[in-house]
Amino acid sequence: MNAGQSFRNPAIVDLFTVLARWLLGAAFLYLGLNKALHPVEFLKLTRQYDIAQDALLLNLIAATLPWFEAFCGLLLLAGVAVRGTALTLATILVPFTFLVLHRALLLHAAQHIPFCAVSFDCGCGAGEEFICRKLMENFVLFALSVWLLAGRGHQCSLRYHLIPPPPPQALSR
Amino acid sequence: MAPIRRRAVGRILLETVLVALTGITFGFAANQISPRGLALARNYFPTGTNDLVRVAANAVAPSDATSTNSTASSSAQQLAAQMKHEGLQVVDGHRVAQLFHDSHLKQGVVFIDARAEPDYQEGHIPGACEFDPYHPEKYFPNVLPVCRAAEQIIVYCNGGDCDDSETAALLLKDVGIPSQKLFVYKGGIAEWTTNRLPVETGARNSGNLRDTNQ
Repeated sequence: MNAGQSFRNPAIVDLFTVLARWLLGAAFLYLGLNKALHPVEFLKLTRQYDIAQDALLLNLIAATLPWFEAFCGLLLLAGVAVRGTALTLATILVPFTFLVLHRALLLHAAQHIPFCAVSFDCGCGAGEEFICRKLMENFVLFALSVWLLAGRGHQCSLRYHLIPPPPPQALSR
Repeated sequence: MAPIRRRAVGRILLETVLVALTGITFGFAANQISPRGLALARNYFPTGTNDLVRVAANAVAPSDATSTNSTASSSAQQLAAQMKHEGLQVVDGHRVAQLFHDSHLKQGVVFIDARAEPDYQEGHIPGACEFDPYHPEKYFPNVLPVCRAAEQIIVYCNGGDCDDSETAALLLKDVGIPSQKLFVYKGGIAEWTTNRLPVETGARNSGNLRDTNQ
């Protein structure tokens, strides 16, 4: 059985989807807790992006975001509100990736080094990383989130739908 | 089929909103409960500066050797001007070493280490007081009497892009330490160790000196 045939087999797709959910959940739980356990460090790194001039707003972002990510990670690991959580993560990944890219471009211009040699702590929870690797990681996380939106792989889920779909009889009416 | 799909999309969007709202509430509550949580009302950065501006200002093209000195000097001037604007003074590594070594000059000089506790424990300027500006309430009882009695206060952090020394100096200024006494050593511990000056490990005045000559 080649890869194309495997992905036509629903059981394999479901298994892949459950693994993707666990992987995404574990990644966000790890990254979120890493930041939540060092809030001052995360606050300093958040400040780099100039996203908030107001101290209260900056504090709110730095205080809430890590726990928010850890919370989403837990939901995915437990299989609760999977599609809603996946869409939430995909939505936050896009602006964050652009912010990281923007900062990397500024550093690239300032340091006169090849783009992929730009390395800094983006405040993503994994310490200092090379930008190309970081962008690749974010792309993989985004792709996994989008994959989960397809709604496959309900196995090992506590409550896959927070708002259950109507029964098939109701739909056929 | 279209209305069914629309309803399914609606359910996902509603679920997303519920997850986001619950997540924000959870994040807020967790920060309040966590012993390491941030104090939301505190301004952690009285300096209001952005590291990136400095990184860009300090950046020098490796091949452009002729501009190195002028860029470094203009960056130092910018820094001094900014400190002056904030009511602080900058002190260079040469002067700091002189103050440290000369027993006559050393009288009345206090060093303030504005780094986090693990960094301080790992090695600080001998006799320096620990003062993490992000947890000032923890250190004020020890640091303030020492600062009030001092004639000159040298505040430092890691050096480089680190601006915690400025933050610490401004906090001290805010609680009534005269700004004429406050000096920011921008080279920080990185320059200190590069200059092979002694470093004390553990608590203040522990006497455990680490030789940085090796």
